[in-house]
Amino acid sequence: MEPEKFQQVFRRLEAEVRKVIVGHDDVIRQVLIAFFAGGHVLLEGVPGLGKTLLVKSLSHVLGVSFKRIQFTPDLMPSDIVGTEVLTEANGRREFQFKKGPIFAHVVLADEINRATPKTQSAVLEAMEEKQVTVFGESHALASPFIVLATQNPIELEGTYPLPEAQLDRFFFKLMVAPPSPVELREILKRTTGAETGDAGKVLPDDGGKLIGQMQQLLRQVLIAPPIEDYVVRIVHATQPNLMNGNGATSPVKQYLRFGSSPRGAQAVILGAKGNALADGRIHVSYEDVAKVIYPALRHRIILNFQAEAENVSTDEILAEVVKQVPRAA
Amino acid sequence: MRTSTGAQSRESPEQRVGRLAARLRNHKLWDSLLIFLPPLLVATYLAVYLYNFAWIAPMTFYLLSGAMLGVGLLAVVVRTRRLIPSVPVAARLVDEKTAAKDRFLTLATIDVALWPGAFVERLRSEAAAFLERIDLRQEFPYRIKRSFYWSFLFSLIAATLFHLSVPLTGSTRHQAPAYDTLSEVAAKIAKRPPLSALAHELSTLAMKLQDPKLAEQEKQTLIHKVLEQVETRQRKEHEKESRALLSEASSTLQGLEQQSAQGQQKDTEKGDGGAQSKPSQQGQGEGKQGQDGGDSRGELNAERSKDRQQGQNTQNGPQEQGKEKNQQSQGDRKDNKPDPSNKSDKDTGKELTGKTPGGAQERLGRSRSEEIPQSTPPAERFYKPGEEGKEGVKGARYVTVQLPEELAADTKGEGGSSKPSKETRVFPKTPVSNAPLPAHVPEAPMEKQQLPLEYRGIIR
Repeated sequence: MEPEKFQQVFRRLEAEVRKVIVGHDDVIRQVLIAFFAGGHVLLEGVPGLGKTLLVKSLSHVLGVSFKRIQFTPDLMPSDIVGTEVLTEANGRREFQFKKGPIFAHVVLADEINRATPKTQSAVLEAMEEKQVTVFGESHALASPFIVLATQNPIELEGTYPLPEAQLDRFFFKLMVAPPSPVELREILKRTTGAETGDAGKVLPDDGGKLIGQMQQLLRQVLIAPPIEDYVVRIVHATQPNLMNGNGATSPVKQYLRFGSSPRGAQAVILGAKGNALADGRIHVSYEDVAKVIYPALRHRIILNFQAEAENVSTDEILAEVVKQVPRAA
Repeated sequence: MRTSTGAQSRESPEQRVGRLAARLRNHKLWDSLLIFLPPLLVATYLAVYLYNFAWIAPMTFYLLSGAMLGVGLLAVVVRTRRLIPSVPVAARLVDEKTAAKDRFLTLATIDVALWPGAFVERLRSEAAAFLERIDLRQEFPYRIKRSFYWSFLFSLIAATLFHLSVPLTGSTRHQAPAYDTLSEVAAKIAKRPPLSALAHELSTLAMKLQDPKLAEQEKQTLIHKVLEQVETRQRKEHEKESRALLSEASSTLQGLEQQSAQGQQKDTEKGDGGAQSKPSQQGQGEGKQGQDGGDSRGELNAERSKDRQQGQNTQNGPQEQGKEKNQQSQGDRKDNKPDPSNKSDKDTGKELTGKTPGGAQERLGRSRSEEIPQSTPPAERFYKPGEEGKEGVKGARYVTVQLPEELAADTKGEGGSSKPSKETRVFPKTPVSNAPLPAHVPEAPMEKQQLPLEYRGIIR
């Protein structure tokens, strides 16, 4: 596949989603990048900002199957992965596996923090291994596969914060901000008028093959060793408990409990590659890295009690890290 | 951004980056050279200066020069290697200048074998398009850094300070050339077979004198022995040229003797006060004649001629000095008779030692301050005028001083009667001492010798 083709498809996807979603251009782009990088996205924002609509629109323009799971405290793992049910056919009774919603290409895990950890963990294997195991039997998931989870940061009562292990499995964590007045006016125009915008399909129904090629192309994007070194130094600098103490900046030591895992560095590199391809380039630049550092690392660094008490956010610490780590070694 | 021309546009992006890296490397090399060049030049100049004035031996000079050059080169290499820009740095500079979004960096640093060839070729062609935007000579010209100006300034200050401080220590600079002169004279004399033995003596002496372990007193003894040999030979020699050579050797030896005496005097002055050092320095102010030298040597000759003139004045000018003379000054006059054979150093030795039986060491300018008991208080070093010491007044160390009021009374014709208790004592118009004083010039203002207040009561 040619890079130009990738850029063309990518831009069309963006444009179609934007027909439905007002604003949030960065969120749309990064969701698409995560999709082509084979990652999963955690969307965080207050209710009513169009998170669910974004995911639905994305699945629609991609022309792939879409399932929504509304996470509630009484949601069971079998409700997600599926279960074996006793069926009777031709006078014979047998157990037959009934696939859960996780077997769709695009899965919306709405308000994922409302489910119990047991149910949340059911999604873990699916996200990482792209397969589920039911009654000792493994079932492969569809390809492409992406989990787009949402969570509400304001309602903490009756919620179960995602464990760090599960957070680490999300490629990006995107913050969905409230719309600006101009955007809000546009939203009103589109949603309260006689005519409502509708996203069209970009990829055909059998677009899975094309998506696979695009995902393959993304990994072939060139990246210079100095840029890789920069990513390594950034991720290394988020470690507060290094043996030799090198790399970690003072805010990291003060406010972080744990730094980013290697998955963070992988996400930064792949995200930067996706960003480069989306811009029509076949090589990664420092700007590409800078654009994906925050979504790739903000949920992978764990704040300590002092940071919580002083209301220090992970983005502030990452900003300090980026400021203190030079691009040229 | 400017458009590059011809040959530049034909090179590949990697070559352009490599060329920029080399250019930046040269810039750093120039920076280092310019930083270390001024101090190196100043250090070399100082070494040459010291060598020219024979403060350092030739071997030391060569070693010092070599070491300085080595250190300078090492510093340049170390600094350049430390600051040398890498290829990624050069590539990033090109990227910044051309807004190529790290294309040059990627091309210059990736391992081509690990990536799809089509992608690399495409990136190369993309980067080549950006090459038009950059001209290395215009974008990366060499500019002299501020560090060079600082280095130049500090080097200039160091050289200036050196020149300002050299005259303070200039008194020792002539020692080595005198040895060289002696060697040269020895070489000249050696050409005459009858004088070859003497030439050998002279060259041996020159070698011995350069030995820093040899004490000044021993040097003086050695010099004096050879000097006597030269003078004896000179008297016996009838050939004119040989006599001239021997005369040259004699004057050179006298100069060396003078230098040695000065060295010894300085050592003595370190432990002694300044009270008695000045007369003794004046007594040793006799330098050699006919030896080339600097200004200080000329001054020494002038002082020596002054001393000789004073001796003659003291001896021959009773009308000039007044009618009143004490016995001491007469004794001095006897010693200060000029030698017809121009043995001015002997005269000097006698002047210094007064009537003390002149041994060799005393004649060679042994300082009087050496004999002063350092443990006793200053007031006890002197005998009162008219009072005899253990060896008699004549042998004692004293200075007869005319107080200002006495001098005034003397001028009015009341001199000598100011103190009834010392009627027998006669004060001269000019201060008289057993130390050589500058020659008396009738029209010149009278020299006044400062008297410390603490000594006034003792002397009266």
